[in-house]
Amino acid sequence: MFAYLVKRLFYVATTVAVMSVLIFWITQVMPGNVAYMILGDFAAPEDIATLEAQLGLNDPAHVQYLRWAGGMLRGDMGMSLSMNQPVSAVLWGAVGRSAILAGISIVLVAALGIWLGVYGGVRRGRLADRIISIGTYINIAIPEFFWAIVVIMLFAGYLNWFPATGYQGIEHGLWAWARHLVLPVFTLVFGLIAHVSRLTRSSVIDVMQSQYIRAARARGLTERRIVREHALRNALLPTVTVLAIDVGVLMGGVVVAETIFSYPGLGRTLIYAIQQMDMPLLQACMMVVTCIYALSNLAADVTYALLNPRIRYGNAADA
Amino acid sequence: MSAPLLHVDGLTISYGTHAPRLQALHDVSFCIEPGGALGLVGESGSGKSTVALAVLGLLDEGAHRENGTVRFQGKDIYAMDDDVRRRLRGNQVSIVFQDPFTTLNPGLRVGRQIAEPLLVHRAMTERQAYDECERLLREVGIADPAKMMRSYPHQLSGGMKQRALIATALACDPDLLILDEPTTALDVTVEAQILSLLASLRRSRSLAMLFISHNLGVVSRVCDDLCVLYAGRVVEHGPAQAVLTRPRHPYTKGLLASLPRLGERRSRLSPIPGRLPDLREPVAGCVFKPRCTFALPSCELEQILIDQGDGRTSRCWRSRELADTPWQLPGTQRQAKSEQQGDGQDRRTQPTERPLVQVINLRRTFQVGGWLDGLKLDISGGGFPIKKEPALVRAVDGVSLDIRPGEIVGLVGESGCGKTTLGRCLINLITPTEGSVRIEGEDLLHAPRARRRALLRKAQIVFQNPDSSLNPRKSVREILARPLLLHGLASGSEVDRRVEALLDMVQLDKRYADRYPHQMSGGEKQRVGIARALATEPRFIVCDEAVSALDVSVQASILNLLADLRDELGVAYLFISHDLSVISHIADRIVVMYRGVVVEEGSAEQVLAPPQHPYTQALLAAAPVVGRNSGKPAPPVVSRRLADVSRGCRYRDRCARYLGEICDTVAPPTQHGPDGHRIACHLPLQMLADPAQRPPGPASQ
Amino acid sequence: MATPLTPSLRARWRLPPGLAWGAGLLVLIVAMAVVGPHLSPYDLDAISLEERLQPPSIQHWLGTDEFGRDVLSRVLHGARSSLLMGFGATAISLLLGVPLGLAAGYYRGRIDEIIMRVIDVMISIPPVILGLLILSVTTPSIGKTMFAVGLVYVPIMTRLTRSVTLEAAAEEFVQAARARGESAAYILFSEILPNAWPAIIIEAGLRVTFAILLGAALSFLGLGVQPPASDWGLMIAEARPFIDSAPWIACAPGVALCVTVIAINLAGDGLREWLDPRLQGRQS
Repeated sequence: MFAYLVKRLFYVATTVAVMSVLIFWITQVMPGNVAYMILGDFAAPEDIATLEAQLGLNDPAHVQYLRWAGGMLRGDMGMSLSMNQPVSAVLWGAVGRSAILAGISIVLVAALGIWLGVYGGVRRGRLADRIISIGTYINIAIPEFFWAIVVIMLFAGYLNWFPATGYQGIEHGLWAWARHLVLPVFTLVFGLIAHVSRLTRSSVIDVMQSQYIRAARARGLTERRIVREHALRNALLPTVTVLAIDVGVLMGGVVVAETIFSYPGLGRTLIYAIQQMDMPLLQACMMVVTCIYALSNLAADVTYALLNPRIRYGNAADA
Repeated sequence: MSAPLLHVDGLTISYGTHAPRLQALHDVSFCIEPGGALGLVGESGSGKSTVALAVLGLLDEGAHRENGTVRFQGKDIYAMDDDVRRRLRGNQVSIVFQDPFTTLNPGLRVGRQIAEPLLVHRAMTERQAYDECERLLREVGIADPAKMMRSYPHQLSGGMKQRALIATALACDPDLLILDEPTTALDVTVEAQILSLLASLRRSRSLAMLFISHNLGVVSRVCDDLCVLYAGRVVEHGPAQAVLTRPRHPYTKGLLASLPRLGERRSRLSPIPGRLPDLREPVAGCVFKPRCTFALPSCELEQILIDQGDGRTSRCWRSRELADTPWQLPGTQRQAKSEQQGDGQDRRTQPTERPLVQVINLRRTFQVGGWLDGLKLDISGGGFPIKKEPALVRAVDGVSLDIRPGEIVGLVGESGCGKTTLGRCLINLITPTEGSVRIEGEDLLHAPRARRRALLRKAQIVFQNPDSSLNPRKSVREILARPLLLHGLASGSEVDRRVEALLDMVQLDKRYADRYPHQMSGGEKQRVGIARALATEPRFIVCDEAVSALDVSVQASILNLLADLRDELGVAYLFISHDLSVISHIADRIVVMYRGVVVEEGSAEQVLAPPQHPYTQALLAAAPVVGRNSGKPAPPVVSRRLADVSRGCRYRDRCARYLGEICDTVAPPTQHGPDGHRIACHLPLQMLADPAQRPPGPASQ
Repeated sequence: MATPLTPSLRARWRLPPGLAWGAGLLVLIVAMAVVGPHLSPYDLDAISLEERLQPPSIQHWLGTDEFGRDVLSRVLHGARSSLLMGFGATAISLLLGVPLGLAAGYYRGRIDEIIMRVIDVMISIPPVILGLLILSVTTPSIGKTMFAVGLVYVPIMTRLTRSVTLEAAAEEFVQAARARGESAAYILFSEILPNAWPAIIIEAGLRVTFAILLGAALSFLGLGVQPPASDWGLMIAEARPFIDSAPWIACAPGVALCVTVIAINLAGDGLREWLDPRLQGRQS
């Protein structure tokens, strides 16, 4: 297992390093001179030149990269051009808010998705399974942003139960805080639940047809006990690893939902940075998202290693 | 007379939801007395596994029990409640399945799974159950039960897993134990031990057994009575020894005639022609008629089981009449060339002839895992804490052998001995780490690319698995034409002519040229594989377990074919197999391998009669042979730890004649007997050759 | 071992219902996309300010949007760009991913390691982010979006191709080809690929749905098709302000997306069933 973990850690580090180069390189190529952005389009050329020298924009590319990367590793992410604040302040706030959303959503996705998957898988072919299957089938086809709009239309517009957009910190009161979260969470859960439930279902079906399940029946175990003690453990292995990855997706990959709900999380910050052409913010934001994603992949790998005895224990010599 | 423990009566089972349904079993009936052992024998497609599942009430959803009853201790199990039936399983009736690798849940510790019947049926606490399991594991021969119970399935060998599964089957002291091919997936020496174990358990627990297998030798070792299944019907039933020595039904006769027998070197086997009927079609008359040499027009009538006296029945109205007639092939079958020529001597080469293939000190080592595997955390040493120690597998470790033109060299050994790796090195599928391979004097590995292709024409291979050795998307014609086109041996219409000639050589009708693999049976596919190997007119063919995946009756015809081809074409073979009976039938010379080295080599008589190297002796003693005394105990279990594989004798971990330190430290010298017989052992030749010196019991560890 | 002969020819050609319905629906959608715009009486961007925000009626079957443009015509036009996005991006991912996967699966060793490590890195990035990264530095257009989406799915196609190639390469008939001295090109294209392509095609079919949805999402964010061209994602974005007053403007393209994706999924599942008889009756 040690070798396995070292391997995975190595790949995470490589991924982050490669992505950092990529992010830096692409955003350097971006049209729009940084100095012009700060001073305005009509600034005098000498002032531009001074600022460029000051910001180190005339240095060769790899020097600039190393400076930036070094800053990143120390926690200094530069100044946001559009918001005139340190990038780190902006980002950590966004990360926190995304984390809340992701945390609540993943719990619900896991609970509902797994339950639906197991329920359907064990009762394969029967009415309950068919209904669930059709439901998830349609669910997969609905684009997340469309669903978000429908949700807003229904619950915020027509029924007016919850606010459509925005976020309020918990200092404003628990209910105020919570009601802004309901619709975004609902949308996110809806977006992920179908995949989780289908994966669980097919995993359960596969496991239930394996030889060791038949052998367990031949030992006289009740069906209930078989599902609980033999099938679930093995069937949930793929699901759990996917859920670990989904945490990463919920944190950094839900750009669309955050945009629609104007939820000030990482995704929305990223879009904002792109629209404002705010380079430091954009670079830092992408790096943070990449790191979160890579870490969640690592978490998935570690979970897999812990749950799969072949990797956890290797082939120890036997008696 | 007590009531039978298990009484199956008229069981008829079919599969499938749409018509036509597949008739898996038809009117199957048999009884097992308390403490009795019945063997259920049949080839694939005979329905024997269906019987096992039916007795337990574990048939799949698609199965329909159309007729018949299964009575256990007098009670009809299909009339029971689901729950009552469930309580029988693992409790009074248990089963051991075929494949120990898939029968255990890979995600749970072994102990937890073994203890389950006790927890469920006996309502024990975990502590009590685990203690009882340790006792059971000791009973089945496990030396360290506690350690095994803490292990996960992937950490145990096949033999150990199967013992554990036997233990769990016996946990609640059942009255009946069903075994569905329990030793098929195991090496022959392990198989012998498991069979011995079963025999002794039967005695100590007065256990009744239903033993299902395709292997007549195995069944003859364990069972009192025998039931032969063909196409879902019982065709013969009676005491095991009687059925095997004086079979009554033509199918049983054919089955026995097509078995290669250890120690009997017949020049030709008598296979059963044709193939299994399609079980979806209704059967008119005798189900075996299309393949039976003794068929007469009256066989159009439905056959019933006829009493033959002495507790025997047979489903053939000619049984009594043909009681002493052995199985014969129809007159149109080819006879061996040598028989026709009447010289009675298989074509052998002179020892002085130059070898066709020379293997010189071949070594092949594999590294386990990729470049980041084998990392270990080692804080004890002074250097960098992460060290790289990749695990090495020495698959072939210094093998030298010669193959002469027209010779059949049998390479025998158990799984992991390196025989497959060696075979593949000879045709450049695997590159050796050291050593060389010469074909007709030319070095294969160092030949320039163009020359290598020409060399490879002379050496071909036939693979084990007929389902995987032919590209499912190509017709037979395309498969056979390709080697001809690739090597420029034919073009245009000549290609078709050659393809037909090849099919003729392997006794397939030329209509097969336009068939696809899924339209052919296993035996037919294997023939195409042989034809493909012959396309380039090779001098030498590696047969890598070429008959191991085939049914016994089909196996016989392929073995005959290979022998015929050798006689006609003068092709040499390296015949690789784990089955000693097959090797003893076909090989001129035998090479025995263990863990990457050759332990013995010589002509078939030298190696087998009598066996001299301790490993060869163990293999022979373990091989299940029809008619062998079932009372004979298996060779004793010997097991030592091998600290360092690269020094000393490879076989010292299991050797019954272990000498001590010399076997641990010094590699055994190759001793030369008369006429090219070679043995690698520290014991001097006289001691090995002298039967009086063979040890009766295990040497001290 | 005797294997049963093939099922009768009739049984082999009996199409699963999913395949029939899905493929039929898909053909309908494609036909509408190709021919529809020509048949509709309204021009794509015919602005008519008197007819703004009208609900569905006889003259405008799906109503009009905030500029008075006929929603149905725009949906039909949007079909073109969405379908183009889906199939185009998938084609790109096949073109790049399949050769990489074949090489990795057949040659193993260092080539395999390198390719797979690059793939691992790419897979670690959320698709939307990768798309954004590529598109944030250029002026978006449908071509570039298609390329970006295609690139996003290259790792998955590579991984899949690699795993079916590994499976096929382990078969004994490939070993037989190597023993004959066949060249790598022959083995890959004549022995392995014919056995691998069903799985690849099926996966590609499903990828089309993901590509369509991702493309729509990017257009929604303003990084795909640009106005005044119509694209389903873009239409939904433009309809956001009017979601309360004129829901049909957003619902029409949304429902169109759903129906298209469902049709492709049905066809894909049906295709899988048809190509692999063993799966019949096992999964939904």
